[in-house]
Amino acid sequence: MTEAWHPVAASSDLPLRHTFHGQLLGRELAIWRADGGFVNVWENRCLHRGVRLSIGLNDGRELQCQYHGWRYASRTAGCTYIPAHPADAPARTICNRSFLAFERYGLVWTGESPAGELPTVEVLEAADPFGLRNLPVNASAELVIEMLHGHGFQPNAKLDNFGAEIAVQSYGEHCRVLSAMAGGSTTTVVFFVQPVDASRSVIRPVMVGVPEPLVQTDVLRHHNAKLTELRDRIESEAARLPALQPLSAAIEQVPIHLSEVPIGAIGRRKAPLRVQVARKWQTATDIVAIEFESIDGQLPTFQPGAHIDVHLPNGLVRQYSLTNGPGELTHYRVGVKLEAESRGGSASLHETVREGDVVAISEPRNNFPLRRDSLRTVLIAGGIGVTPLLAMAQALHHNDLRYELHYFARADDHVAFRTILDELGDSTQAHLGLSPGGTAAELERILDQPGHAEHVYVCGPGPMLEATRRIAADRGWPDEAVHFEYFQNATEIDDTTSFEINLARSALTLRVGSGETILEVLHQHGVSLGSSCEQGACGTCSVAVLDGEPLHQDVYLSEAERELGDQMMVCVSRTNGKSLTLDI
Amino acid sequence: MITLYNWDLSVNCYKQRLLLSILDVEYESIPVDFYPGWEHKSAEFKRINPLGHIPVIVDDGYKLRDAHAILTYLASKYDPSGRWYPASDPHLLGETAQWMLFAEGTTNTASAARLHVNLGYEFDIEVLREGAHELFRALDEHLWFREREGLDWVTSSPHPTIADLAIFPDVMLSEEGGISRLDYPAIRRWTDRVRRIEGFVVMPGMFEAAKGAPK
Amino acid sequence: MTTATGHAVCTDPAILNQWYAVAAIPEISVAQVHRTRLLDSSVAYSVTADGECLAWRTAPNDATVTVDASSQLDWLPTRTAFGYLWMSVGEPPPDVFEVQESAEPDRRTLNAATIGIAVSAPRAIENFLDMAHFPYVHPHMLGEEPHTEVADYTTELRNGELWAVDCRFYQPKAAVSSTEGVMAEYLYRVPSPYCAMLYKSSPGDAERMDVIGIFVHPISEEFVRANLFLCLLDDVSSDTTIRRFQQTIFSQDKPILENQYPKRLPLDPRAETPIRADKMAIAYRRWLTDLGVTYGVIPA
Ligand code: FES
Ligand SMILES: [Fe+2]
Repeated sequence: MTEAWHPVAASSDLPLRHTFHGQLLGRELAIWRADGGFVNVWENRCLHRGVRLSIGLNDGRELQCQYHGWRYASRTAGCTYIPAHPADAPARTICNRSFLAFERYGLVWTGESPAGELPTVEVLEAADPFGLRNLPVNASAELVIEMLHGHGFQPNAKLDNFGAEIAVQSYGEHCRVLSAMAGGSTTTVVFFVQPVDASRSVIRPVMVGVPEPLVQTDVLRHHNAKLTELRDRIESEAARLPALQPLSAAIEQVPIHLSEVPIGAIGRRKAPLRVQVARKWQTATDIVAIEFESIDGQLPTFQPGAHIDVHLPNGLVRQYSLTNGPGELTHYRVGVKLEAESRGGSASLHETVREGDVVAISEPRNNFPLRRDSLRTVLIAGGIGVTPLLAMAQALHHNDLRYELHYFARADDHVAFRTILDELGDSTQAHLGLSPGGTAAELERILDQPGHAEHVYVCGPGPMLEATRRIAADRGWPDEAVHFEYFQNATEIDDTTSFEINLARSALTLRVGSGETILEVLHQHGVSLGSSCEQGACGTCSVAVLDGEPLHQDVYLSEAERELGDQMMVCVSRTNGKSLTLDI
Repeated sequence: MITLYNWDLSVNCYKQRLLLSILDVEYESIPVDFYPGWEHKSAEFKRINPLGHIPVIVDDGYKLRDAHAILTYLASKYDPSGRWYPASDPHLLGETAQWMLFAEGTTNTASAARLHVNLGYEFDIEVLREGAHELFRALDEHLWFREREGLDWVTSSPHPTIADLAIFPDVMLSEEGGISRLDYPAIRRWTDRVRRIEGFVVMPGMFEAAKGAPK
Repeated sequence: MTTATGHAVCTDPAILNQWYAVAAIPEISVAQVHRTRLLDSSVAYSVTADGECLAWRTAPNDATVTVDASSQLDWLPTRTAFGYLWMSVGEPPPDVFEVQESAEPDRRTLNAATIGIAVSAPRAIENFLDMAHFPYVHPHMLGEEPHTEVADYTTELRNGELWAVDCRFYQPKAAVSSTEGVMAEYLYRVPSPYCAMLYKSSPGDAERMDVIGIFVHPISEEFVRANLFLCLLDDVSSDTTIRRFQQTIFSQDKPILENQYPKRLPLDPRAETPIRADKMAIAYRRWLTDLGVTYGVIPA
């Protein structure tokens, strides 16, 4: 039965911003429609502490758990925000269990592990379906199916009579097609029976063909009354049968690396994803916007501030920030500026890549996580630096948090992604054509009043970044309130050495071979350690070194810190010696 | 000024707080130590209400007891629009009275089950649960057909009435009494709508609904 | 194991051999027989006219109306501590754990509520040890968005008890007598598997801490009655006012607890997803594992 498709809700059960509580074969489901129309069918259990997601909040793009406010994106069910640790990007792999879902005949269909395509029912393909009221029954699906063979109703043209002739046709295990004939008119209804639990079901009847508007209410009432009578008969029959044990649906274990504390951001570098360029357009002078769509399956969850690596046709790899709003997972949208002295990165995207082309990208990584516990968030963008801040602004906007987006651009025609800016409305402000001095003056004004629990995010050209940091410091903003994206590590990483690592606290000795990183080896052996950028740029995977001489290949540690030799970034750094002893 | 003899965890007191909040009427709440103090059974409180139960209101010297009676009074007096208690429309008034009686049923089943589970009241819990499910089935069916007519509330008024407020808390807290609403999708949608009424406040044990989709 | 009447009872020694608070003494009507269940066993208790506390095992449908110390019954050990009647259906330690503060004369000691919850005892305890839910479950009372961060804290074992120290969390209105937001400081203490306490900076006295405890009375593996114990430095508010605040907090947690699935606490680390803020919960689960607890949990 777990391989079959079953209806689990009526489409009309899912108005926007509602979370439907369903159940199939003993497994509870939280079912919700995102504002764009997409229907999510998820296991009714927050991965964090098992709280039912059906009591959570559907905000149109994400579902928020009621217990600790974790947010999960539509489509992927991936966690996008953990409020208890506002400065961390949640691990990409925190993902609730979700099930494939389709809407057909006015019903939502899913299955535990459905084999094959959602089957069609011929009679319903021939005419428009008309959904009747669905009825839960306290009886097994088998009993309901059996007793549907005694069910009767009148054809639509003869509602006031009785005694219509009924023809029943079986249609697979959980579907019966009944036709009522009287006085030359016929009405056909398809009854789908959803096995809710061992002794509970829902009858979901769909009429073949839509009745005349004037009689619709009568038709609905007629069928509801008839089905209610049937339900009474079924339930009294069920009461005479021995009671059945409720079904128990197995809960999947979470991946091992999520089961250990502490976890900040963790994740492994995965093989690149192949995506297609679905849309490419000029969004401003010198800036093209590109939307990538998945070729097979769902794009992974991202968080505001995240970027992807794009593998370009000419072999180069470049990072681009995602501009998507929360829950927007049908595509990834990036902005690419044609750099005057491009070494072939942006030029390649501008000139060579066309709509329909297939390119490889990485999963989104987030080195620039957005806190949402800020009383006011100031976003400062310079030119193309607006891209990660657009994602942040949309998240803040959608969560009703106070923010302002200051967008510095050369001129009006250099302002990219106007549609998004228009949706954001009053909280965004463009500062056009300012000289460096003018920019500094404007920044002074913007950053004039640091407040308690307020944060600044800045992304733009180097000099502007520097100016922002300097002015913010002058004005009394604490260091940890001013955020900018980590520098990317451009070092050529040498991973040819092989050596041993001794884990002092775990009393383990492991071998790191060439082509592997220390971090990977740790993960393979179930040792959990936070990491984020995995390119030696963010400092998350720093580990204390007790013995041995590290070969630093990161860009995070300062020269002085490297000299000390008492810590290292295990995602890229290694040793030229035989072994390292680490404080893990 | 209205004085409400109140216990925060009582659904019947909550019904008054909810209506007063929606109508934006100020009142003074006098906390009654219903549990564990059983203050409503004290000789002192019985001077306020000889039947020994809450809520009771005193409005400028006028005293009234019983949840649904108080709702009727407050809506009649403090809602100038006349929509919460539609006294001028015989049909709506009849329906409101009918569904207020229905609320007596949900109080005596669903909310009684909650008292059994929470505070150990000695009731036959299975009878209460069965009774509540029977009422919920009827309510779900009713609300489903209302939705088909483009109507959102228990009466045929386009506006909620005190009948919605009288039924809502018993339903919204039914799971505390072990009465699941999984089989009542139309009721679950209606509880979202009630929780989106302007001026709505929760009582402990319920959460606010997600904000409605922008129109 | 099953009783004569055929229903399963608890056989877990780690849980059986503990004291459980079954009622607040001021709420027990004198010389009457009160029936309840403890760890699936039917039990009864009574306070005699001269204040003696009695407890005994009963048949599930027992209808005894009065007893005295000379009655021929299957007696159970009892203690009185912090205003509660404690009993055990196993072989408990000589005394109930200590709460030194309850002896301080300037404190208010009272039972805020005893509330039935359809959940396992360890789930109720774990919720009590959790700060991250304050802004979502107790908005405007114990927390408030966007102040959601859980700062790092430390967990440790002290004389066989589990403690969390240096806990801090933003609180808009820490107690009845406070009016504006503060960083409240907490200490958590788990003296026995189904009892927990928190010590919280008192708005009334900068030097000392208020004590709030949850003493869970496990009826069965998946149903409890939770006793909420208060020992406060507050000589202003009335009992009713103090109770109101705590009863509200408690009632806000109830729908969360009753919507947790599975109801028993899973001890397998891969059953749920912990984060740094859950250190105490992890420590609690490990501690239960080390004690060999099997009742109310899903052993790893
Ligand atoms: S249980 Fe869902 S956020 Fe904690
Ligand atoms: Fe809580």
